[in-house]
Amino acid sequence: MSVAVMTAEPTAKPTPEFRAGGTDFSERRRSGVSQGLLIDISATGDKAITWDADGAAQIGALTTIATIATDARIAAAYPGIAASAQGLATPQVRQVATLGGNLAQRSRCWYFRRADIDCLKKGGSTCPARSGNHLYGVAFDLGPCVAPHPSTMAAALLAYDATITTDRRSGLTIAGLLGDGSVSHADHTLAAGEMIKSIALPAPLEGERASYKRAISRTYAEWPLVELCTRVVIADGKFQLVRLAAGGVAPVPLRLAAAEVALHGKIANAASIADAAKAATSGAKPLPMTGYKLDLLQGLMRDVLERLLD
Amino acid sequence: MTTTTINGRPLALPDDPDALLVDVIRDGGLTGTKLVCGSGVCGACTVLLDGTPVVSCLLPAQAAADKSLTTIEGIGSTGLHPVQKAFMAHDALQCGFCTPGFVVEATAFHDSWRATRGTATPSREEIAAALSGHLCRCGAYEGIYRAVAEACSGRFDGNDPIAPRLEARDKVTGLARYTVDIHHDGQLEGVILRAHVAHARITRLDLAPARAIAGVAAVVPLLDDDNMIRFVGAPIAAVAAKDRRTALKAIAAITFRPEPFPAVIGLDAARRDDAPVVFEKKDRKRAGNVSEGAGGAPVSWKGNVRGPSAPFSQKAKQAKSWLDEARAQRNPLLVEETFRVSTQQHASLEPHAAVARFDGDQLTVHISTQAIHESMEKIAKRYGLPHDRVRVIADHVGGGFGSKGSVGLETIAAIELARAAKAPVRVAFDREEELSVAGYRPAAELKLSLLPSTEGRLKALSLTAHADTGAAVNSLIAGLARLIYPAEAKELVDFDVLSNLPPGAPFRGPGGPPMSFALEQAIDEAALRMKVDPIQLRKLWDPDPNRQRLYDWAAGLDVWKSRKPAASQSGRYRRGVGVATGYWLYLWQTGSSVELAVKGGRLVASCAVQDIGTGTRSVIANTVAKAFDLEPQDVEVRIGRSNLPPGPGSGGSRVTASVVPPTLLAIDKLKAEIKRTASRTPAPGSNAPWREMIAASPDIAVSAKRQEDGKPPPGVRPALHEAGLMGRVFGWVLRLMNHMVVGAGVPSSVQVMEVEVDTWLGHVRVLNAYTGLAIGKLAAPTLARSQAAGAVIQGIGYALYETRETDPSSGHILSGSMEDYRIPGIADMPKLDVHFDEAGFEHVPGGSVGIGEVATVPTSPAIANAIRDAIGVRLTEIPFRPDRLVAALKGRDAA
Repeated sequence: MSVAVMTAEPTAKPTPEFRAGGTDFSERRRSGVSQGLLIDISATGDKAITWDADGAAQIGALTTIATIATDARIAAAYPGIAASAQGLATPQVRQVATLGGNLAQRSRCWYFRRADIDCLKKGGSTCPARSGNHLYGVAFDLGPCVAPHPSTMAAALLAYDATITTDRRSGLTIAGLLGDGSVSHADHTLAAGEMIKSIALPAPLEGERASYKRAISRTYAEWPLVELCTRVVIADGKFQLVRLAAGGVAPVPLRLAAAEVALHGKIANAASIADAAKAATSGAKPLPMTGYKLDLLQGLMRDVLERLLD
Repeated sequence: MTTTTINGRPLALPDDPDALLVDVIRDGGLTGTKLVCGSGVCGACTVLLDGTPVVSCLLPAQAAADKSLTTIEGIGSTGLHPVQKAFMAHDALQCGFCTPGFVVEATAFHDSWRATRGTATPSREEIAAALSGHLCRCGAYEGIYRAVAEACSGRFDGNDPIAPRLEARDKVTGLARYTVDIHHDGQLEGVILRAHVAHARITRLDLAPARAIAGVAAVVPLLDDDNMIRFVGAPIAAVAAKDRRTALKAIAAITFRPEPFPAVIGLDAARRDDAPVVFEKKDRKRAGNVSEGAGGAPVSWKGNVRGPSAPFSQKAKQAKSWLDEARAQRNPLLVEETFRVSTQQHASLEPHAAVARFDGDQLTVHISTQAIHESMEKIAKRYGLPHDRVRVIADHVGGGFGSKGSVGLETIAAIELARAAKAPVRVAFDREEELSVAGYRPAAELKLSLLPSTEGRLKALSLTAHADTGAAVNSLIAGLARLIYPAEAKELVDFDVLSNLPPGAPFRGPGGPPMSFALEQAIDEAALRMKVDPIQLRKLWDPDPNRQRLYDWAAGLDVWKSRKPAASQSGRYRRGVGVATGYWLYLWQTGSSVELAVKGGRLVASCAVQDIGTGTRSVIANTVAKAFDLEPQDVEVRIGRSNLPPGPGSGGSRVTASVVPPTLLAIDKLKAEIKRTASRTPAPGSNAPWREMIAASPDIAVSAKRQEDGKPPPGVRPALHEAGLMGRVFGWVLRLMNHMVVGAGVPSSVQVMEVEVDTWLGHVRVLNAYTGLAIGKLAAPTLARSQAAGAVIQGIGYALYETRETDPSSGHILSGSMEDYRIPGIADMPKLDVHFDEAGFEHVPGGSVGIGEVATVPTSPAIANAIRDAIGVRLTEIPFRPDRLVAALKGRDAA
């Protein structure tokens, strides 16, 4: 919609932006939310998945989500990564969207996505969602901006202790790449012109399993209200390792540390999961409209973990 | 310069890195690929890139360099693909606008399935996952499931099928041209400048800077003469330029001063005593209209609240006093509840669009419209032109659902720009305009009290509706509760609550679904308290003969008979079954005319009516073919042109009942004429006498106008007669002002829904839907089934997913994309059982009445009642999103 912007000129100076698959970029570009220099990297980047002798994988940043979703070896070694890739966006978008682009994508906040509304991410001074309509906002209120981070793959990579290499830095954790949620002007910590090159996954542990699910209103093709990628190692009937990485609830993907601790060493059954699920929301600070996300987070934790029981 | 190969031919790609593939494809004349959401969620623009389905609305054109593209036009170019044949045979389409995208995706799925799985049949789940990147607003999913499954199983490897929908081949091959696809030589693109604030007066509007930009051909103001802005997105001016980019640049150059006024947003804020007033007394006539018919009697107006409007009340004081008494006595049978329904956007996949051109003083306008004939009359009146100087064309319309019933801003802007620019101009709304300023079914708050008598009859009903109409008036919700479930007394009061939001518009059975949402839940609640079967209670309280038969059908369903009470369920997943009833008026349009001719040995039927996906062509073709013992494909149907004999608008479910009767009259006349002019009679014993006589006939033409109905049997009367004298007055006004007649007999539906509630994730899934419909004889049975299925899935959207989101202080519509305005996808379509009861309309020539609206009325309350049955908690506000479900399960208020 073409509107007359009667507010001040946009305060943020457009920075050059890389375009990989373009599935996020093109929409922002068409709507006018994103302007400035465009650098297309689709033809030049790394699209390969390589494997170390110890079973660790490196995924080139331009590997498509569809490739990750359907690669048999990824599914065997990192089932949580594969399931997350299968669950996001639509089949057509997954064919084109890349892993690097998924990590570097911009917020889905509906205020951010309107070219005629100013917000913190566009260099403004306030968050209009915080005082306005934040139905899909965060339930862990960690910073001035109340939009959850949109990257499903980031939560999955967080569960797997993945590290990221850029053209300037290496060994970046997901927290290192995306920050702690307190910074509101960007969706990641990449400097202007810094490009994600590849993602490294540690070799899988003996006997580990994983699952992923998102809570949405329809059956498919919806941004998650809450999503959860989990890895466990169960031995002697007990949880020896539990990783819970949640998306949709905070400005960055979150490890549910208290719930992980609550399950560690516990008998792997539905009762201990239900008990520990109460800790999933430890530290949460919901907004007036987002309390429901805490119920969904607890329900999701029970769902994804119960599916990993024998 | 880089090139791509498209359908086997080379195509140069623009160097512009921002150019998107969809625009390059469409600008190259391949308009089967549709631009709808622009955000990769609806799939209408899907093409194959080296054989892989991708969305061309997000793909940079340069990404296709040195690759091979296949569009819908390249599929089946040497003979229909099995998927195309299956879509035609199973009527897996309605308006057809999403169809090319679905077909492209489904062919890729089919080809890869066949390569690996042979002729095994894919499951519903496999098909749903493969097509999860596509959306269909008409709701053709049921046919799509069947079509894809059977194409994969090899059933359509052979000959081309006969399609029940006359224009199906054009729609599955991408050849069907919609208004947005029209391209004249020298055509300009028009864009509308819209307001960024909700309430302001515009001063010092300066269009000169826009006119000064190279490539701009015309700039016209669109402000009303009071220069007021009353909602974000209100039009200010429009520009026509050589392309969209130039037009947008010109729009940005226009300057003006907005003098801000305090704004008020939404139902609750606008009702406060200190709320800023949207329409001062002198400006009230500027408000829009959310109803299909004319307004009734004058209504009082205080601040932003227009009402009470209560013409259909019956002994209102008595109702009030009985209800007060029951309240004081704490009568356990008194059902009292406040319900809320949400704003529903039409979300037609083809946006509002018009292409206008002047050839001398002849104006031709292609419009994506539900009313070509009426549009022609209104345009002629507005611009002082004789009727024969205005031609309105709509060959195919990509959905309407009520939002395209009158001459809209897109048409006015296109005409005025074309006149100023002296060149053809296209104006097509973008998705954000479509999902914010193009109309909607208003949200409403419904306060209801229902009191059964000690004898178990319905004694008193009170329903007060406050509708969130934005900058519009004329909501009728509560009043509709008069026409069903007779009671001793009813107090039915409607209010419009105006605020600085875009105006609402008619939407498929306008106030019907909101009224039904409240009333049908109250009936259900009464049955629970009275400890009687909800279907049997309806049978007792609702004497309508059509619905009596439908209640018997519903009561006999296994799913109904084997219901389990909520109390017996305690696990994560709980199932429930609910029932609800709906009705709509049987309407037909006076003066509807059909010409029937023999031309060159072929039958040709003509009428200035349009097909918005409802199947009008097929209804006419079937009627004619049956009478002459021919196949529908043997009949040429000419519609979509305003210079044909006047036809009805596609609103009020009136088309079938308006065009079938005059078609039957014309058939009789033509038969007589063919016989009279025949030089010889068919050979004795011929098994196709009419075919032979038509082939031998000289060119002749007859026409007929919609006749009055026959005398209905005793007890069958127009729905409005339930409302006594006021109902009759309403009927007269409708006939005089809107040329619509409310006929005898009430189109009815009873639906039974089975749901599963995931109590952990707040997710509701409709597993099975049973819809019983009494709409007379089916003029086009397969298409009627498609309408029934589409109505159910649209009702599911209303109940579970759809809501417009606004910013409470600025009035911006936040759900302006298809990501955020959530219509159902194929996986959300339940298994469906459709039951047609074809009796009840024998007094209508042909025996057929409309289906479009009645079929969607009871879906949301049937789902609500099913959820109540599953979890023991009644949810009173739609959509039933996960946040509301988890809140209800915890007994807490949702956001």
